[in-house]
Amino acid sequence: MPSPRRRSRSLRIVYKKLPGGRLTIHYHKKKPSKAQCAGCGRALAGVPRERPYKMRNLPKTMKRPERMFGGIFCTVCSRRKLKDMVRK
Amino acid sequence: MIEIGRICYKIAGRESGKVAVVVDKINDNFVFVDGQVKRKRCNIDHLEPTDKLLKIKKNASHDEVVSELKKISIEVKEAKPKLKKEKPQSIKEKSKETKEIKPPEPTKKPLKEEKKPAKEEKKESKNESKSKK
Repeated sequence: MPSPRRRSRSLRIVYKKLPGGRLTIHYHKKKPSKAQCAGCGRALAGVPRERPYKMRNLPKTMKRPERMFGGIFCTVCSRRKLKDMVRK
Repeated sequence: MIEIGRICYKIAGRESGKVAVVVDKINDNFVFVDGQVKRKRCNIDHLEPTDKLLKIKKNASHDEVVSELKKISIEVKEAKPKLKKEKPQSIKEKSKETKEIKPPEPTKKPLKEEKKPAKEEKKESKNESKSKK
């Protein structure tokens, strides 16, 4: 039986196989879910999701793509958006 | 639609949303662009053409394109020229320089020459001592 603080799901459970073939449980801290496109809801690439202490130390250029609407819209949606803007 | 002098907007990449003027046509897929974007080759799929056309020649220079764009009130931000910074010298290089500054080599050489015969003399003296023994 795991210790009481580990019986809740506040920590992520990872099953690890040991060299002897035995299974053990490792407890990891949870990461926030992946960033999603505001248009289509697809998971965004190039947007890291880490614990706040890691995000704080990252430079701004590594937190989102350096494109117009980078980190908000996916490439497909941003292209469609820009095309609409130009055609108007 | 895409021809020399056509004003387009870039859709993809870090320069997306900026004005690009077609300066030259490379092949069916690629053109050479200038304007608010860096002067470079560009895929046609990454451009959204407008109905505006500039009167420029083939391979027009950057200044020509900028002056033509100003007439239709599109301003181009000039990038600052990169200044070359002096590289910080590493400690190893500094120590090398200081060593090079004081070169007492000519004085050293004769000293070494003097030392060598001294050793020989010592050897001789040792031999002598052995012989004496």
